[in-house]
Amino acid sequence: MDKDVNKLVNRLEEEFQNFKKDLKETTNLKELEKLKVNYLGKKSLITTTLKNIGSLPNDLKPVVGKNTNIYRKKIQASLDQKVEFFESLEFDKKLRKEKIDLSLPGKKPELGSKNIITQVIEEIEEIFIGMGFKIAEGPEVELDYYNFEALNTPEDHPARSLHDTFFISDDVLLRTHTSPMQVRYMEKYQPPINIIVPGKVYRRDYDVSHTPMFTQIEGLVVDKDINFKHLKWTLETVARKIFGRDRRVRFRPHYFPFTEPSAEMDVSCKICDGKGCRVCSGSGWLEILGAGMVDPNVYKFVGYDPDEFTGFAFGIGIERICMLKYGINDLRAFFENDMRFIRQF
Amino acid sequence: MKITLNWLKDFLKIKELNEEEVADLLTMSGTEVKKSEDVGARFKDIVIGQVNEFSSHPNADKLSVCKVNVGDNILNIVCGASNFKKNDIVPVALPGSKVGDLKIRRSKIRGQVSEGMMCSEAELGLSSDSEGIMILDGNYKIGKSFAKSAGLDDVIMELEITPNRPDCLSIIGIARELSALKDIELNIPDYNYSLEKENNFNIEIKDYNLCPRYSAKIFSNVPRIESPQWLKNRLIFCDVRPSDLIVDLTNYVMLETGQPLHAFDKDLLHSDKIIVRRAKKGEKIRTIDDNNRDLNPEMLVIADEGKAVAIAGIMGGKQTEINQNTKNFLLESANFNGPSIMRTSKKLGLRSEASNRFEKQIDPYLTIFAIKRFQVLLERITGHKENAKIYDNFKKTKRNRNIVLRSSKIRQVLGEDIKVGVASEILSGLQIDNKVKGKNLEANIPSFRYEDLEREVDLVEEVARIYGFNKFGSEPPAAKQSMGGYSFYQKKIRQLRDSLRDIGLAEVINYSFISQENFDKFNLGEEEEFNKLVKIINPINEDFQYLRSILLPAMFKTLEDNVKYKTSDIAIFEVSKVFEKSGKKLPIEKNKLGILLSGRKEQKSWDNGVEYYDFYDLKGMLEYIVEKFYPNKDLKIKAKEYKFFHPTIGGLANIDGIDLGIIGKVHPSICRGLDIEQDVYYLEINLDNFIKNIKGFKNFMPIPRYPSIEMDIAIVVDINIKHDDIVQLIKESGTGILKNIRLFDVYQGKQIEEGKKSMAYSLTFRREDKTLKDREVEIEIKRILSNLSKKFNAKLRE
Ligand SMILES: [Zn+2]
Repeated sequence: MDKDVNKLVNRLEEEFQNFKKDLKETTNLKELEKLKVNYLGKKSLITTTLKNIGSLPNDLKPVVGKNTNIYRKKIQASLDQKVEFFESLEFDKKLRKEKIDLSLPGKKPELGSKNIITQVIEEIEEIFIGMGFKIAEGPEVELDYYNFEALNTPEDHPARSLHDTFFISDDVLLRTHTSPMQVRYMEKYQPPINIIVPGKVYRRDYDVSHTPMFTQIEGLVVDKDINFKHLKWTLETVARKIFGRDRRVRFRPHYFPFTEPSAEMDVSCKICDGKGCRVCSGSGWLEILGAGMVDPNVYKFVGYDPDEFTGFAFGIGIERICMLKYGINDLRAFFENDMRFIRQF
Repeated sequence: MKITLNWLKDFLKIKELNEEEVADLLTMSGTEVKKSEDVGARFKDIVIGQVNEFSSHPNADKLSVCKVNVGDNILNIVCGASNFKKNDIVPVALPGSKVGDLKIRRSKIRGQVSEGMMCSEAELGLSSDSEGIMILDGNYKIGKSFAKSAGLDDVIMELEITPNRPDCLSIIGIARELSALKDIELNIPDYNYSLEKENNFNIEIKDYNLCPRYSAKIFSNVPRIESPQWLKNRLIFCDVRPSDLIVDLTNYVMLETGQPLHAFDKDLLHSDKIIVRRAKKGEKIRTIDDNNRDLNPEMLVIADEGKAVAIAGIMGGKQTEINQNTKNFLLESANFNGPSIMRTSKKLGLRSEASNRFEKQIDPYLTIFAIKRFQVLLERITGHKENAKIYDNFKKTKRNRNIVLRSSKIRQVLGEDIKVGVASEILSGLQIDNKVKGKNLEANIPSFRYEDLEREVDLVEEVARIYGFNKFGSEPPAAKQSMGGYSFYQKKIRQLRDSLRDIGLAEVINYSFISQENFDKFNLGEEEEFNKLVKIINPINEDFQYLRSILLPAMFKTLEDNVKYKTSDIAIFEVSKVFEKSGKKLPIEKNKLGILLSGRKEQKSWDNGVEYYDFYDLKGMLEYIVEKFYPNKDLKIKAKEYKFFHPTIGGLANIDGIDLGIIGKVHPSICRGLDIEQDVYYLEINLDNFIKNIKGFKNFMPIPRYPSIEMDIAIVVDINIKHDDIVQLIKESGTGILKNIRLFDVYQGKQIEEGKKSMAYSLTFRREDKTLKDREVEIEIKRILSNLSKKFNAKLRE
């Protein structure tokens, strides 16, 4: 009996080795199907052996059944594995036929643009916010009082002729600078004051280097013990943040009716690094803003005590900053709204 | 204002001035040097020569061959001019030099060697029309540099003088600045003079407020000669056209001293009396620029007993102008009220070098000095001695003041400890007398700085600007408990701009103006909301007549302009103020957002066709904004006719009864009128309303615990039935389990009966307490369909 069982096991093992050899040689699913018929089909050794179990003596039945089933499972598992292998091979083949041109453009949602002036205003606002400033806004149509008189520029003041003004009536005008908000703000609040005021301003001037409307950012700092050194530090810091850390900065005395002393600030020209070129008309410096210590006369208009409080004010021309920063050479371009200009930013 | 360095040196005890140093010193003390040009460089290698002999060119009739002595050499020069004689002194351009744009070289002209060029005035840029070679006088030494000999080796500087410094509108004023900056001694002559009793000539001033001083001197039998070249050169350098010696000298002295002068032909004055008075009503004068001027009593004139002979401080009259026959003249040196001159000059639209100085209020103590300076120069040039004395009508007012400058004030304003001794030296350098008293000093302000140095802080500035702003350091202000940041409104505006950019819109900025023509083109006159325009009383031209009340016309112009540049697909927004006339002094200013769409949508993909912007694209953008800032709120459009919109495609947008603004399709006839062939869609919302009502933040909505069921229904209704009304009815028909209604298809066409449309909705149902049963949804749908059928005669589409 043992001899018969051993004989069977040997035959099964031999069959399995043959199967493995054949399996190795299969190259596709069809051949695999054939293999399955040969080794597990009706006429296969495994199936016929299992079929004939019934005719075996009772004590042999379990042993033969168990051994045969082991081989059946082994073959089935190998076949399954191979099927999976061929399938994945087929799938891969199919995928490899799916070709697209990776270089075709993506289907991108279109990005719009914020105006370059808006972007530069926001950049400057962020710098000042970081320094503890608030942002105030005021009317574009102003009273003469706020635009000139309370800024120490009474009627007949020679400085008025520098501001060609649009008038609505005798004493109502389009603000010629953002400075009126200095007075409006001080009328309403007590020091300490730390504000900037961005906005549109208007001058009656229209040629290659002037537009009737342009954009300024005003600044005002008033407190006890604010002095010219603080003005210098604040504006130097801002200029370097806008134009780069390696820019040099200088202050030149100037004149504004509502500050004393008054100054203009220059940054060293980026293009020639201060050696002088066409952009800086040979001077090596580019003027970027006007500033000064608030004139005591302005405090009188708002009821501050000039011996108690000091402060500084400044005004930055935004278009000029844009021009210097981005190398734009035509002021009018800002308001022509040519999409070829607008969409660049 | 322009100055020259040589002229400046006339008033400074110094041999040489370095161009770069002067430019730097002046710029860094508040007198900005805009430009600086070394004129001498223009005349490099042009020397004085003498024609020794000349003969005609063997091969050319019109040319001659000259032997010219240039000092160390005799040159052979071929010349085309014929105005010179043997021994004439002429300017000679040597090989290597440049005459204008012409480079001079050794060359052969028709076989004859030419080693340079004899120059004409025109070729040298000294006059615009001249024939023949420039013949020089015996003062020019052979072999010397032409530039130096002719006073052309000079540097011209263009300065920007701030309006507070009328004293610097003069060579002497700038010399004073430089003297303080570089510690150079001034060299200003001190003239003696005596005043004439007014017996044979009379000056009457009617209003001393307008004319505090009028000085004059009569010059008789003055020889008439041409101005010397050096004088002409200096005038040309300073942009003044030379004419007649007398006129040239008045200009020269004005540039030098800052005191404008005017010379009248004495024999053309109708009396021995000058009257300074207001113009009479209807009075007229012809000024020397050959224009007739209408005067009014606001204006001050200089008159004889007959009529006005000059507009005071602005321009002289034609009738008494110096002319070829003038023998005797009256030299006026007066002082006028600045504001009055400014008003008159503005009113007449007439500005002159004189008015530019007078309007800034100049020092009345200058008048006599200027007359004496004129006299001295006239004598130097013509040899004419004028013995007549000076007439002077002067109502003296206080022109000096004392100011105490505390070192504590310097410290307070500048943050820098500048010693009182240093401050004192600086002021002395500026010709401001002062005495140090302990830690303070007391300054006595001279008349020529009386207007601009009024207060202690003005002296702080003087000290600071001469000391140098860049000599003291910078310091951060003491840290304060101040919180910077945007206000809620500002933050939302910023987020809004970002959102609009993110959906592909480009931000434009237009001028705040609108023309009458555009106002009319957009039919704004008929719209209550937009017709209260704020008028500019002095517009530059018709484009700037009013402040805009609506952004549409300007944004439409942006479209037009870009169509011209062949960019016809436009998706833009603008955030700006608009203006509305109010009963008060100041108009109402409203913050608006405008969006304009026209043309093709950005083609996101190359695999689908061209799509054009339509109303729903614009409405979708508005919905996007509303969803972003007003979560869970619905946008409603109420049809309303506007004259600038299509009669049926336009209306008012609102959320929860808050009016946002207008939206619609721009009226096709407006587009056609402006040559725009494509459809244009526009919306404008009031940002003040929009942002004011935004809630700070969204509340969290719990995530549903039970699954929802989605059901689609498609109904066929009459085309006039509105989506809004259908949704409203579905909502009313549903119970609490209907959570969402979404339209996913609208169809009109062959498969549907004419006059009908199919609307397909997806409905979402959900219970919050347990899983919903299909049965519950079926009941709901049945009720909804039955209501739709009853109210709108809706049929279920199969
Ligand atoms: Zn440069």
